[in-house]
Amino acid sequence: MRALRSAVRLRAAKIALAVLGVVVVLMVAGEWLAPYDPLHQDTTAILAGPSAEHWLGTDYVGRDVLSRLLAGSRLSVIAAAEAVGLGLLLGVLPGLASVYFGPVFEWLSLRVMDGLMALPFIIFAIAVAALLGNGLHQAMFAVGVLMAPSFYRVTRAAAIGLRQAQYVEAATLFGATRWRVVRTHVWQKVLPTVVVTTATAMAGALLVVSSLTFLGIGVQPPAPTWGGMLASDLGYLTQRPFGPVAPALLIIVTVAALNALADAIRDATGDGAPASSVPAPQEVLDDVPAARV
Amino acid sequence: MKSTRILTALAAALLLLAGCAGGDTAPTSQDGDQTSGGSLTWGWHLPSTWDPVTSTVGQDVHVLSLAYAALTKQDVDGNAVPALAESWEYNETGDEVTFTLREGLTFTDGTPLDAEAVKSSLLRGRDAPDSTIGAQLAVVTDVRVDSPTEVTLLLNQPDYQIPLLLSGKTGMIVSPAAVEADVEALATKPVGAGPFALDEYVPASHATLHKNEDYWDADAILVDDFELRVPPDPTVAVAGIQSGQFDVAVIPPAQIEAARAAGLEVEVIDVFTVRVLDVNNTVEPFDDPRVTQAISHAINRQELVDVAFFGEGDPNWQPFPRDYLAWNEELDELYTFDQDRARELLAEAGYADGVAVTLTTQAENDPLAELLQQQLQAVGIDVTLEVATPGANNYVTRQYPFVVDSFSGRESPLQALEVLFGPEGLMNLGRNAPPEIQQAIDVARSTPLDDPGYDQAVQDAVAAAVTTMPNTFLFTWPRIFARDPSAQGLEHYIGTQRFEGVTVGR
Repeated sequence: MRALRSAVRLRAAKIALAVLGVVVVLMVAGEWLAPYDPLHQDTTAILAGPSAEHWLGTDYVGRDVLSRLLAGSRLSVIAAAEAVGLGLLLGVLPGLASVYFGPVFEWLSLRVMDGLMALPFIIFAIAVAALLGNGLHQAMFAVGVLMAPSFYRVTRAAAIGLRQAQYVEAATLFGATRWRVVRTHVWQKVLPTVVVTTATAMAGALLVVSSLTFLGIGVQPPAPTWGGMLASDLGYLTQRPFGPVAPALLIIVTVAALNALADAIRDATGDGAPASSVPAPQEVLDDVPAARV
Repeated sequence: MKSTRILTALAAALLLLAGCAGGDTAPTSQDGDQTSGGSLTWGWHLPSTWDPVTSTVGQDVHVLSLAYAALTKQDVDGNAVPALAESWEYNETGDEVTFTLREGLTFTDGTPLDAEAVKSSLLRGRDAPDSTIGAQLAVVTDVRVDSPTEVTLLLNQPDYQIPLLLSGKTGMIVSPAAVEADVEALATKPVGAGPFALDEYVPASHATLHKNEDYWDADAILVDDFELRVPPDPTVAVAGIQSGQFDVAVIPPAQIEAARAAGLEVEVIDVFTVRVLDVNNTVEPFDDPRVTQAISHAINRQELVDVAFFGEGDPNWQPFPRDYLAWNEELDELYTFDQDRARELLAEAGYADGVAVTLTTQAENDPLAELLQQQLQAVGIDVTLEVATPGANNYVTRQYPFVVDSFSGRESPLQALEVLFGPEGLMNLGRNAPPEIQQAIDVARSTPLDDPGYDQAVQDAVAAAVTTMPNTFLFTWPRIFARDPSAQGLEHYIGTQRFEGVTVGR
């Protein structure tokens, strides 16, 4: 925890946290901050440029772009958080358990995670959406399941190193239960690594959400999302050449802030987690077409 | 060594000069002169199959008519004119029609296209188990070969629509030899007698064809090669034409301005296509006709055209475009935009407090669906939008009862009515229809096309259908092509796009 506190003192982390703070405010209060109803169509003013009334102009059915962007923050961020949360749950606990709960569970969980790693994110999410219905929660369920191996591997790698640590062996000799060892000695040390992974995974998940909604998966119209707005703006570049800039910037800045925060925590934790030990989120990015955006 | 270097330099200089000279003398038609030769690249949808008998998509007809010729073809206004058949004649009672073929026709595989081949091809279309044109040919009880160039269709009722019917996929003649040899192969290797012959086909990518010198109207085909490429993404269509990737490509209305600004020519072609809401009237609340009438009254069609199609379209209450013979003037503004009337009708149907429906759309970010949602919401119809599962064929599965769709028209107006309203019609999601519609269609069918009462008979059938069926027509919308200015001679066909007389200059 001390490492995390020292990370927050770094300048990069402060900036990243400030940006993410704004995003959280948008997420929580975006709908109230929006100057107009994000779904209200004013068909007399479609594809209008920025003006005093509509700061970011209007879209193809005359909806206020700023309001949609603000209202869309919640769906986009919550969807990413959903996926990461599920990934955390399905990755960290089995990761720890695989080290401390016997070879059978270890062998089984390793095989399951190997299997999950073989599945490509976007295609799996599309398949799940086709099977369970085209909703954001369904798509995020799929993404969350596929993120589990990232957390599993990182947690397991950190925990394995600690299994042989002298203070862990000492605690065991003094009669500490396996649960107590994990809770007081291992978890504290694994946490910074998990936090770094979470931050990068969150960035990856945001890109996955954006690319899925860009492709039309996961969101029912007319609900706004960052990726969906980006996709719709591309069809009207002649009328609104700067249309995609705002949603794209929001995606870029949020993802960059999450990555910067992850870097800062990693730098501050020192022996915590060098970049190379956090491979999985990078694989997430490799799978994401929106990384091109 | 030195002499080798000098020789190489000389050769390079000569090549360079030759290249420049070639560039200078390349034919152009910037000034509008017709120039034969060259290759035309068209950005359009690839077909579901290259076999017209099993094709499942209406718009395949445009592509299939590159490789196949039919007994007749449509002129720019949609009338049947001679093609493989130079003439046809009905008997007195209208239940036999004799087509006279041109002399010396051959398929691209070299086999003769004679009366026997026509018989074989039409009967396969009628009888093949996987045929999608069987229903249209059910009226043909038999085909009689009178001579090598004369073939007579025997009909189970007087039907003067046959020459129109045979101008599309239904009348495309497929080589019997190719069917005999490997019928499955036709899906990727068409063997017909059309203006072009296929060289290469890469599904989901492109098809290349070359001019068929044995085509009956080969003199009118002025390009040597034809390339078909899947339409460019709308966002890059203009750049694709500018860079030479396409000579002609279909673009959405939103790109017209960009295309013109880039110096491209834009062809806005009034065609049969009409946007329509498919409705299943066996599903609540659409089982009450007052609900579908309320929906129609609640829709501001002009706003749909202006916003979703940038004004490129014409509000409509029937399945045919204004100016077409089947267009019934009395149906214009059949359900005027009247929100009060819509609320009244809903109240009469027992939905005074509103009703919730799900509207299915084919695409994310579909402005049409989103506009409809707001318009219907205004009268108390709470619309949830749902994007159809990709690949779902709702015409067959009928899993969605209320769908934003488009109708592409058919060669025969009566065939169009049967597709939309017939008891087995694909776009009649409820698969039911009052018998009066079929009776009116039969009256029109048995009226000769040159009879003074023909237009009225067709319009009566349209009225019988449109006033009783739930299909809600919205507006006709044009086919829009952007083309490089050097590609010239593209005529505006109301039905199948044809390429006779088209030249390329680059």
